[in-house]
Amino acid sequence: MTCVADSAAEARIDQALVARALLGNDRRAFEQLVRRHQGMVRAQLCRLLHGDAAAADDLAQETFLLAWRKLDQFRSEARFSTWLYRIAYACFLQMCRTKSWAARNAQDDDAMEELPMPAPAMDLRMDLTRAMQHLSTGEQTVLLHCVQLGLSHEEAAYVLSMPLGTVKTHATRGKAKLKTWLSAWQNAAGEEHVQ
Amino acid sequence: MNPVHDEDIDALLRQSFDGPAPDAGFSDRVMQHVRSRRRVSSWPLVACVFAGVLMCWLSLSGSPLWRAAWQGWFAGVWSASTFVTLAAMAALSLLALGWTLAEADDH
Repeated sequence: MTCVADSAAEARIDQALVARALLGNDRRAFEQLVRRHQGMVRAQLCRLLHGDAAAADDLAQETFLLAWRKLDQFRSEARFSTWLYRIAYACFLQMCRTKSWAARNAQDDDAMEELPMPAPAMDLRMDLTRAMQHLSTGEQTVLLHCVQLGLSHEEAAYVLSMPLGTVKTHATRGKAKLKTWLSAWQNAAGEEHVQ
Repeated sequence: MNPVHDEDIDALLRQSFDGPAPDAGFSDRVMQHVRSRRRVSSWPLVACVFAGVLMCWLSLSGSPLWRAAWQGWFAGVWSASTFVTLAAMAALSLLALGWTLAEADDH
């Protein structure tokens, strides 16, 4: 309940800052919006770019500059943070269309395919990260937005420009795969512990 | 051996997420590139629409089909030329509408 109230208060603050930035062309209001949201937008992009923090910062900068230029198109139908995630994801997709990054990413994916599945002796967190990388791109992206960034299915569908049903399917399938892999990990770890 | 539940997966995924990135001067770097927005004036759009209409009129005014269509239209007769001209105008309007909607969706 408190969390919902906090979220509503945060949304109101964002709306007030957007109104100030628009009406008075107030750069300081926009600066506050940047400071409030840069952390999560950069975290989102860093995850999407498989930990490439420098590329994530470049895309995050592009995201905020686009948000400043298109601020009059923000209709308050979504939360400001959700609107920013949507712009950031569109920038990420645009970057994926460029040959160099797509080629590099494909090499990374090939290398990831060659990695063995989670080994029982390894730390659970590392195993989870590795298991995540074995999910399809859609499943990874949906779980990132729905679970790690805390968006609802509807918000994730808006950010990813995906039908709601597809988002729910990716979330269910992704979690089912992780459950299967982590159950195997738990079994193996349990047996090792007994020995 | 406990089964793994959705809540466990959610909790593990949240734990594996590092959370918001520290600012470390990022906001200042962004604000250095933010420039004041210029007011977008609408007169170039209006002028271009008028110029387009004028050009269309000038290029079509010599066409016999166009003239026959207008004569039929003013006389209240649905001749073939009137029908073809109106159908072409409707098709072009629909194309322009579709293009506008696609552009709006992209932005």
